[in-house]
Amino acid sequence: MSAAIVPGDTETLAARAVQVTKIYGQGQTEVRALDNVSVELPSGHFTAIMGPSGSGKSTLMHCLAGLDRITSGQIFIGDVELTRLSEKQLTLLRRDKVGFVFQAFNLLPTLTAAENVELPLAIAGRKPDRAFLDRVIDAVGLRERLGHKPAELSGGQQQRVAAARALASKPAIVFADEPTGNLDSASGAELLGFMRRSVDEYGQTIVMVTHDPNSAAFADHVLFLADGRIVDEMANPTAEKVLDLMKKLGG
Amino acid sequence: MGKATLKGLLAHKLRLAATALAIVLGVSFVAGTYVLTDTITASFDNLFKQVTQGIDVAVRSEETFGGFETGEVRDPMPASLLERIRAVDGVRVAEGNVTGYAQLVGRDGKAVTTGGAPSLGVSFNSDTAFTAGSTIRSGRLPGGPNELAIDAKTAADTGYKVGDQVKVLFQGPARTFTVAGIIGFGQADNLGGARLVGFDLATAQDVLNREGRFDEIDVAAAEGVTPEQLRDRIRAAVDPRYEVLTGAELAEDTAAAINDTIGRFLGTALLAFAFVALLVGGFLIFNTFTIIVAQRTRELALLRCLGASRRQVMNSVLVESVIVALLASLVGLGLGVLIASGLRALLAGFLGADIPSTGIQFQARTVIVSLLVGLVVTVLAALLPALKATRVPPVAALQPETAFAPTGFRRRRIVLGVLVTLAGVAALLAGLFRPEGNQLVNVASGAVVVFFGVAILSPLIARPLARVIGWPFARAFRLPGNLARLNAMRNPRRTASTAAALMIGLALVAFVSIFAASIKASTTETLEETVSADYILINDNFQPFTPEAAERLAEQPELAAVAGVRFGPWKLNGVNKSLSAVDPAAYQQVVRTTVTAGNLSDLSSGGLAVKDTVAEANGWAVGEQVPMEFPRTGLEQVPVKAIYEDNTLNGDHLLGLATYERAYADQADSQILVKAAPGVDPADSRAAVDRVMADFPNVTVRDQAEFRDEQARQIDQIINLFYSLLGLAIVIALFGIVNTLGLSIFERIRELGLLRAVGATRSQLRSMIRWEAVIIAVLGAVLGLAVGVFFGWTIVRALSSQGITEFALPGGQLVLFVVAAGLAGILAAVLPGRRAARIDVLRAITTE
Repeated sequence: MSAAIVPGDTETLAARAVQVTKIYGQGQTEVRALDNVSVELPSGHFTAIMGPSGSGKSTLMHCLAGLDRITSGQIFIGDVELTRLSEKQLTLLRRDKVGFVFQAFNLLPTLTAAENVELPLAIAGRKPDRAFLDRVIDAVGLRERLGHKPAELSGGQQQRVAAARALASKPAIVFADEPTGNLDSASGAELLGFMRRSVDEYGQTIVMVTHDPNSAAFADHVLFLADGRIVDEMANPTAEKVLDLMKKLGG
Repeated sequence: MGKATLKGLLAHKLRLAATALAIVLGVSFVAGTYVLTDTITASFDNLFKQVTQGIDVAVRSEETFGGFETGEVRDPMPASLLERIRAVDGVRVAEGNVTGYAQLVGRDGKAVTTGGAPSLGVSFNSDTAFTAGSTIRSGRLPGGPNELAIDAKTAADTGYKVGDQVKVLFQGPARTFTVAGIIGFGQADNLGGARLVGFDLATAQDVLNREGRFDEIDVAAAEGVTPEQLRDRIRAAVDPRYEVLTGAELAEDTAAAINDTIGRFLGTALLAFAFVALLVGGFLIFNTFTIIVAQRTRELALLRCLGASRRQVMNSVLVESVIVALLASLVGLGLGVLIASGLRALLAGFLGADIPSTGIQFQARTVIVSLLVGLVVTVLAALLPALKATRVPPVAALQPETAFAPTGFRRRRIVLGVLVTLAGVAALLAGLFRPEGNQLVNVASGAVVVFFGVAILSPLIARPLARVIGWPFARAFRLPGNLARLNAMRNPRRTASTAAALMIGLALVAFVSIFAASIKASTTETLEETVSADYILINDNFQPFTPEAAERLAEQPELAAVAGVRFGPWKLNGVNKSLSAVDPAAYQQVVRTTVTAGNLSDLSSGGLAVKDTVAEANGWAVGEQVPMEFPRTGLEQVPVKAIYEDNTLNGDHLLGLATYERAYADQADSQILVKAAPGVDPADSRAAVDRVMADFPNVTVRDQAEFRDEQARQIDQIINLFYSLLGLAIVIALFGIVNTLGLSIFERIRELGLLRAVGATRSQLRSMIRWEAVIIAVLGAVLGLAVGVFFGWTIVRALSSQGITEFALPGGQLVLFVVAAGLAGILAAVLPGRRAARIDVLRAITTE
């Protein structure tokens, strides 16, 4: 049982998990994906979650984002406790408070890049904040590609559209699940640079699951998971430090 | 390989269920039609075997005028023939009998009608040798001039019992009789829906206008003489224009006449609807297999990688279709038996025919044809997708999915589509305007080819059409509407072929409604332009009635003109024709005719007037002698007295009444047109007509408005029957939408998951699916409407010479069809929508 408390140099928490356990299956086939995990994710921070395959890092992210139900414990986004929410309330919370960047298939193929960026706003039927949207679009460098369909964009461009979409509704927190997993290193760095800037410039909160030390180096903090528990943490990571710790944990 | 197919089949039970349903419905209609017609045929065969019991040989006149248009016309035989037959060696007993028109008047004073079958007056044989055919249910056989017997069905319908006084209408004067007996025919209460009034021979000859003549002579053979021997002996003894049949042959022939009617109309009509259902089903199957093959691209490629040949890949798809076809056809066969019982009950109600109960006839032909039809339609529809499957290269297994890349041979599609459509249109027009071969078949196959052509072309216009149709949905329903519109546009081929199935049903419905509206408009037009009569009097079963009615009407001072119209068949160089016979003096006052040559009034001394196009085609001018062959008098030279322009009512030939009275045995009016005297109040003239016609309750009096309404009512009745049968095709097409959407959801599961992840609610997803279904349905409806309007226009134009002179577009109704299609789309989206809303978000976005 290990609780990793991120040093709170900001006054508010964007999200937190309190003694969260997630069990898949029953009896013989029971898998304890998360084992009594507690995490606090402060606003305006870029947090990376690392760990080997099967460590539970994706499960933790899905639970934090309200995509998956937990077996016991509590999850908060802002002040809202997710475990008490109905399916519909969870959906609306995702719509209004959460942004997502997945590893692949982030975009609706029928919509243009611009329409994809505005998708959560369109779902909510809200008017986009034009000025903010323009800044985001310029920041990801998609101005010329706005009218294109996803099939006409490169993998890196597609992920940048996804990132822009995640920011467009000004969510309380953005979850990114291996966002650079399908990208070459240059495209990946470009995307991560944008995410970093959004934290620095707009105070966006980002939680990113990754297994790549270079990606983790863009974060403010890194949490390390293994066998469903948080086993270590690191502030102000660099690729080398992360790699060293991974070796140590792995060995 | 076979195992892989089977496993694949089981894995996709659900999507195949909808496919199979299309086949099930189509096949069940085919099987049901056969079972029904076979059962009815067997019933009538048995019935007439029963009725002709005891008759070894029957003699009657040869049918001089036959065919659908004129009905069976046989000249009565002279009584002397009976004596000649009695003298033939081996005849034990011979008796003549007669058949004619007689209609009972019910307790309410109205004529007892049928559902289309004739109202017959007959004489009963008196010798016990022949009476086994009918069964006396109560009372006894009629004897003497004041007695009659009626069939049990009529007795039940009217409530008449033995001893009641009943009034009977004839072509001559009406008379009152006492019911002496009520008869049945074995198990059956009547003879195929006909109303029967029976008398003894002398009475029947008197009231049916058959004095000294017989319609049929029945003969029983002496001991030791077979019916065949006797038949041959009698045949040798009588004039060859008399037909000599054994009792069995007579039963067969009589049953065949009824069965031919049922088989030709009922059977053909039902099979046509079954064919439409199967055609729509074929589109559905094609669509399903195309989507399945597209979705299984990687799986098929993997099989190719593992060494499966193209042929094996193709077979795996075809074997799947064969299994589906066989299962579905078997189920359809079973369902067909149920449908047959349902249809039979419907028929009995509709025609008022008491169809005698015989066991359900389930013939080998029914099984073979049903299975074969199901198999052929399914496999043909799956053939193209199967060929497509063979084009999957093995390397596709290793490449990332290129999910939606409907790249096509655009130009090839245009060329092919246009060629096929044009070929269909050409066949349609040829069938309509060139009287060669089976026109109905030509028109129908032309229409089918047009459907295929439009279906080939429709993917080209599906995208822009879906864009336009989807626009209001995108506006009204924001994101779900917009996504629905985009989804409908993304794979135009799939959208188009799903819509094409609906197109067929809608096109036929639209055509039928246009056709009906045009008939109604034409009737109105004809009434306004041509008919100057104030009252139109007809028998609602199209039975001719006594000229006495017209004679008595003519005596009324309130009426200016009374024109009886008589119909009759004749032959021109052996070809059946029909004519109307009129007294020109009265007729010209009730019907406006534009005469181009000669003078219609000259018909008063007999002679013929013809339509200008007919005169032209035959090269006839006024004064020309036309060789007319009549049933009674045979060949006669009749002079042309006048030539007129088409006005629908006159028909092709108008005969002077004087000629008609000489040339035809029966003198009866088929309609009377009445014009009120000038200055007489309509209420008074109507009262005068009604007063006279109270004695002729078999004739209905209508003014122009009532006549128009009655026509409209009858048309609507038939149209509604058509609508309900075409409903089947539309239901199948809706299953197609369900199926396509279901398969699309399966394919778009990650998109749906993504939408849910970023905050789309379940109801938003459902609404997205709903509007996509509606857009597809409306697209199909719009295409169908376009094709239907085209069919309607060409066919109405083609039939302008048949009296359908006006083309009417029932706009409101057509719009209603589109709206109904849209509503049906909402219904079709329920299940897929529920499925889309239920997807597991996490699994959808995390699975590869």
